[in-house]
Amino acid sequence: MTGRRFKANETVDFVVVGSGAAGGVVARELSQAGLTAVVFEQGPRFSPADFEHDELKYFFLNGITVDPRLSPQSFRKNPGDTAGRPPEAQPALYARLVGGSSNHFTANYWRFHEIDFNERSVLGPIQGTGFADWPITYQELEPYYTKVEWEVGVSGLAYASPFDPPRTKPYPMPPLPVKSSGVLFERGARKLGLHPFPAPMAIASQPYRGRAACIHCGFCMGFGCEARAKSSSLYTMIPEAEATGRCEVRANSYVFRVATDSRGRATGVHYFDADNREHFQKARAVVLSANGAETARLLLNSSSSRFAGGLANSSGLVGKYLMFNQGGAVHAVFEHELNEYKSVQVTRILHDFYDSDPKRGFYGGGGIDARINPQPALWAKSKGGDLPLWGAEYKARLEAFPRSMLTTGHSTSLAVEANSISLDPTLKDAWGIPAIRVTYKDHPDDLAFARFLQDRSVEIMQAAGAQKIWREDVSESLWGVHLLGTCRMGNDPATSVVDKYHRTHDVKNLFLCDGSSFVTSGRGQPTMTIQALSFRAADHIAQFAKRNEI
Amino acid sequence: MNPTDGDREDNPRRSFLLSSGAALTGAWLASNWPAVAAAAQHAEQTAELAEPAGFDFLSAVDAADVEAIAAQIVPSGKTAGAREAHAVHFIDRALSTFFAAWAPNFRTGLAEFQAAFRAANPASASFAGARPEDQFSHLKTVDGTPFFDGVRTLTVLGMFSSPKYGGNYRGAGWDMMGFKDQHAFTPPFGYYDAEYTGFVPYATEKHS
Repeated sequence: MTGRRFKANETVDFVVVGSGAAGGVVARELSQAGLTAVVFEQGPRFSPADFEHDELKYFFLNGITVDPRLSPQSFRKNPGDTAGRPPEAQPALYARLVGGSSNHFTANYWRFHEIDFNERSVLGPIQGTGFADWPITYQELEPYYTKVEWEVGVSGLAYASPFDPPRTKPYPMPPLPVKSSGVLFERGARKLGLHPFPAPMAIASQPYRGRAACIHCGFCMGFGCEARAKSSSLYTMIPEAEATGRCEVRANSYVFRVATDSRGRATGVHYFDADNREHFQKARAVVLSANGAETARLLLNSSSSRFAGGLANSSGLVGKYLMFNQGGAVHAVFEHELNEYKSVQVTRILHDFYDSDPKRGFYGGGGIDARINPQPALWAKSKGGDLPLWGAEYKARLEAFPRSMLTTGHSTSLAVEANSISLDPTLKDAWGIPAIRVTYKDHPDDLAFARFLQDRSVEIMQAAGAQKIWREDVSESLWGVHLLGTCRMGNDPATSVVDKYHRTHDVKNLFLCDGSSFVTSGRGQPTMTIQALSFRAADHIAQFAKRNEI
Repeated sequence: MNPTDGDREDNPRRSFLLSSGAALTGAWLASNWPAVAAAAQHAEQTAELAEPAGFDFLSAVDAADVEAIAAQIVPSGKTAGAREAHAVHFIDRALSTFFAAWAPNFRTGLAEFQAAFRAANPASASFAGARPEDQFSHLKTVDGTPFFDGVRTLTVLGMFSSPKYGGNYRGAGWDMMGFKDQHAFTPPFGYYDAEYTGFVPYATEKHS
């Protein structure tokens, strides 16, 4: 671990709250631009050797994810309901360590398409939703997508999909080796006239920028990468930020309040250190990249007499319009072994159904990928739909694991104002800070489209020659890992929280940059876009700082 | 790497947790990483024994019933089932350590299950002692209950989690499923990718 250590009471140019996909990029860009920054991370810092192939610990004992015993959350479906503690997964699930959820993500790195940014104008309004255009276009973001691919590191095959948006450069690394799931998916889809293509993945297919190539261990989704092949912030942006000598990453440091002065400017952040001592870090400006749940919570927990409804919340929209993305899984068994527990989770996807089609009778778009939940217990635990759950038929399904795969849909969630992050009125975390309350009920169109994609997945698996097919249920979401939309971007301060440069409308030196900025959900796989937005935001924020416009 | 990593003396989060107990819940202190570490230590000690150690949470009668349920969920046969994977030992250890929060409901659910079975099968002294076909028939009547779902989850975890937690005896669950506990692989990974001849590009026209 390298990097500068700032003295107590030293004022830095920027505090960045969160060290994940967004915070890592912002910290690296600002510090490389000559500005000083302290990055705060609630969780610990892992070395590669700290990551384990321990399924029980990582999936069932919150090995690196937000722990319900320390940081409980509550959930309800409707605003009129009393929220309760969920029995299993945290409703807003994320990884809590340096690098954040970029450690445990699956690393699917699709770009959004042009339509994602102006879909409201193309399709018109959708009743009961906050469906809106973004204040930026794909063309404005394209250079930053390219920057993600080259500077964070993405493997893929440019121009392979006829539906791909325009790009200015190819990928820096070739696609990862195709797996049998990808071959079968491609075989079935091509028979149906569809256009499967190599999945872009933020995993090194060859040695890249000082990191090793993937060793195909299979422990990507839900795990950290001990090979340093996954392009997480822990291995990419964070060390490059520290190498500038202008950035300190402060792990085990929990920011619970953004402070403001009488002029309404952010002055720094209050935080607890690893020994539960409270501190204050002064800064000229603050960037929140804590994820779409924690950024909103932090603003709501930073209310004051001037900002009674929460910081930067004059619109009343902080926490509103939460979007999780939807999807549905199909299980298929084939004659020969696939051994999907080996290597990365996804090697083929298709975007033939990316655009919403009014003829279907409901809104929605998305992609389908070929994969498996590769770890034995997680796969064996799956249930729903017509999957056998016990007895001889269940055991036969378990024994067929090497011959099995999944296709998974990844699709839209409409922005519904009632779907939100708010403060639970009674529940507090281990530090006594009001906890996250998630309110979420999928829009009916989101479920309808997920079922539509599932039907297409069944057709693809049938065309590929599957011997047996099961569907999991497409059901209302009880939790999410894509935490999007809670501080939406827009030009109008009355209908958005941040402007097109991620500056809050209400506080000149407070910026928000993570999934919270999203206006629409895309079609799943949001991290690529979170990082492209972060590169763009940091570019502008650094210019503002140099012009004394913060 | 082992499950005690979260409990290392140099782990700053642990220091915080232990020094700020007043701010924390009893459930956390009772059931977090120290307990996981204890479970793993116990498992590592017993893994080398020819016969598993006794039970901490379950009585002998209860353990026999739970094992019988687990053996119906994943039956024995040509490949290992829950019985051969020692899933019940994982369940016992989990409920007395890292899943202790589940223990009260589990105990209540098991008692209700046993009572219902005795009421429906007065000729059987216990579920474990009943004929397999009677066990199967009874489970069909309760497989939608939270208790059954809990036993199923624990059985799955006991069969397929790392052997260091007390189940998946000598990798029996992984062997049954065909999962290889190996740290790295090289392509081809399976039958179908071995015969793949390469990605064929599409015609260049743009679809919208």
